[in-house]
Amino acid sequence: MITVAECKKPQSKLRSEKFLTPKKLYLPLSQHTGKPSSCCVKVGDFIEESQVIANQDGYISSYLHAPASGKVIAINAWNNPVLGRSEAIILEPQGVSKKYLPREGIENLTKEKLIEIIAASGIVGMGGAAFPTQVKLKSPKPIDTLIINGCECEPYLTTDHRLMVENLKEIFLGIEIICRIIKPKVVIFAVEENKSDAIKQINLLIHTKKFSLLAARTAVLPSYYPQGGEKQLIYSTTRRKVPGGKLPLDLGCLVHNVATCFAIYEAVYYSKPLIERLVSFCGEALTAPKNIWVKIGTSLKELFDQKIIEFRTEPEKIISGGPMMGTSLDSLDYPILKSTGGFLFLTKGPKELTEGSCLRCARCVDACPMELLPLEYYKRAKKGEYQDLSTFNINDCIECGCCAFSCPAKIPLVHYIKAGKRYAPKNK
Amino acid sequence: MPLKISSSPHFLSKVDTQHLMTQVLVGLIPVICASVYFFGLRAGLLILNCMVTAIATEAVILYLRKKALAITDGSAAVTGLLLALILPPTTKWYAATMGSVFAIFIGKHIFGGLGANIFNPALIARAFLMAAYPKMLTTFSAPIRWLIVKPQQWDSISQATPLVLKKFSQEITPNLDLFIGNISGSLGETSAICIIIGGLYLLIRKIADWRIPLSLIVTVVIISEIGFILRPTNADVLFHLFSGGLLLGALFMATDPATTPITKKGRYIFGIACGALIMVIRYFGGLPEAVMYSILFMNALTPLINRYTLPKAFGR
Ligand code: SF4
Ligand code: SF4
Repeated sequence: MITVAECKKPQSKLRSEKFLTPKKLYLPLSQHTGKPSSCCVKVGDFIEESQVIANQDGYISSYLHAPASGKVIAINAWNNPVLGRSEAIILEPQGVSKKYLPREGIENLTKEKLIEIIAASGIVGMGGAAFPTQVKLKSPKPIDTLIINGCECEPYLTTDHRLMVENLKEIFLGIEIICRIIKPKVVIFAVEENKSDAIKQINLLIHTKKFSLLAARTAVLPSYYPQGGEKQLIYSTTRRKVPGGKLPLDLGCLVHNVATCFAIYEAVYYSKPLIERLVSFCGEALTAPKNIWVKIGTSLKELFDQKIIEFRTEPEKIISGGPMMGTSLDSLDYPILKSTGGFLFLTKGPKELTEGSCLRCARCVDACPMELLPLEYYKRAKKGEYQDLSTFNINDCIECGCCAFSCPAKIPLVHYIKAGKRYAPKNK
Repeated sequence: MPLKISSSPHFLSKVDTQHLMTQVLVGLIPVICASVYFFGLRAGLLILNCMVTAIATEAVILYLRKKALAITDGSAAVTGLLLALILPPTTKWYAATMGSVFAIFIGKHIFGGLGANIFNPALIARAFLMAAYPKMLTTFSAPIRWLIVKPQQWDSISQATPLVLKKFSQEITPNLDLFIGNISGSLGETSAICIIIGGLYLLIRKIADWRIPLSLIVTVVIISEIGFILRPTNADVLFHLFSGGLLLGALFMATDPATTPITKKGRYIFGIACGALIMVIRYFGGLPEAVMYSILFMNALTPLINRYTLPKAFGR
């Protein structure tokens, strides 16, 4: 793992704001890992807020709900910050937003019923991976350790941090629900040490014993990148190593992001599906960084048009996600997805990249949290020799970018690795 | 709004090749100072000669290979400087020039250039000069503390290095002289204290990895201590540490990224094997150049070490 500049001040101290009145919503059918949802509305239909507009299609898939009441004005391919482009439902909001009433009799809900509610709410992992949450909760193996991921190790992003400071009780209620489903022996709340205000509150809540969390404890982790990566987090908190090709549940672990816990709370306590999320907007090109609650599907462009965020100077690069793993965008015409934690507007990217010669300095090897050999991938991918890449376990690479970050020759190693993964034989 | 598109990460460390090389040059400043202090202006000229030749050779070859003129990366300057520092102060200018050309051309570019070379270019050039001018390369002068000396005077004050004195006349040089550098030897090898200062700088700034120097030095300490206990006529630990090119080799040559293992485990093996080889040659060999030959030998074994120490990937 590596130490990177955090760039989290001042936004980590900013109270979240709300922007819930967009003029248009762009809702890609694929906002999660797995099969895209299947659209169940037609152009011209009038939709109520939180009504299902696309169905879960298959086991690893998710529901999609209307973030606002309004009319379906188009269903066609649209920009998707993760996939580039994908089929999307375009909605024109009309009318007022819905009131969500507390659900009755939550204590009596069975495990199966809870999972059903979570699945029906379209909840996916909100830390970036976007894996459908109900699938993780239906673990076929016993889980002894539930890890709550509040690390947020990507520089700039502060939504998880703000959520922990502003909505910690709700997050705990969400964790309680998860505990009722999977019955872990311990709950570990993992936070990086740079979030001291959140840590204090978490410790306090754990000690008040208001929540029926069995054996909960906080794990304060050093602020390294990628501390919040699932495998790194499991190792840092339990010393268990998840081997390539295995899942955390094979080792009795389950990891959920704090924002996902909050979404679970809203779904169970208020029957509110995942239609909004907290998003960080930061970077030097903005007049001020902000953490804003927005409806899923809100486009970046609209936030600027309505002057919710403003440019100080022209950005040179716009990134969806954090600077280490995010994707660079070619315009403002991109919607916010369920898994979008933030957008970055950078004035000047890193120094003009001229790819130098590899020094064989092994800084990439030393930096790799997966104990891989980035320089070997690069050497082979560059020459187009993809055959033996899989024997070097290239598919274990989590594309965290530590190697490219550390490379003094400024070789875009992740770029080569992605190419390598695409062409490497899949037989291993 | 023209936006730049690129693969992640969008955040890169400030350390680049040029920075690394410049820092190595900075780390060598104390050593340069010591060599000029002990061996006079001539040492300075020798350093200049090697560096300029190395940079010029690099420029010509890059031009011929139609590569971007990357001499600003500083790697050629480092090679030239390192070569100068392992030459005797009395090395003739033409030999130094030839050595520098050899270092860059044969030592580096024959293998494909920066990072592709198998042997440390400075050391391989030194080995070449050893073969070409054995006498010149094994004649050392006593340190002199004035700046300008007439060439005739130079030859009259030649003196054997501490290692040679020890080997052939059982004469032990006082440790304090070794430590400060008040001895004969190659330009940059003499002052242990200056090498340590520069080396620590590199280690602390994380320019060089500590694994090789540490394991090399610890190995030398252990073996020489055992040797001393077994036969008290053997030189003691401090003598072995501070004499010859040991420290310069351990801190500045054995840490050369291109020619040393890429794995952490491999780096320990490299350091330990180097240290052991040095002691074997010093105890049993006839060569005075234990450090040079050991490092070169281990350079050749580096691909093998890499192959057998490859990490398995996390959790596998
Ligand atoms: S090889 Fe993959 S896992 Fe390793 S540092 Fe690079 S991007 Fe991260
Ligand atoms: S960090 Fe860059 S220069 Fe160093 S070995 Fe890796 S790829 Fe080569």
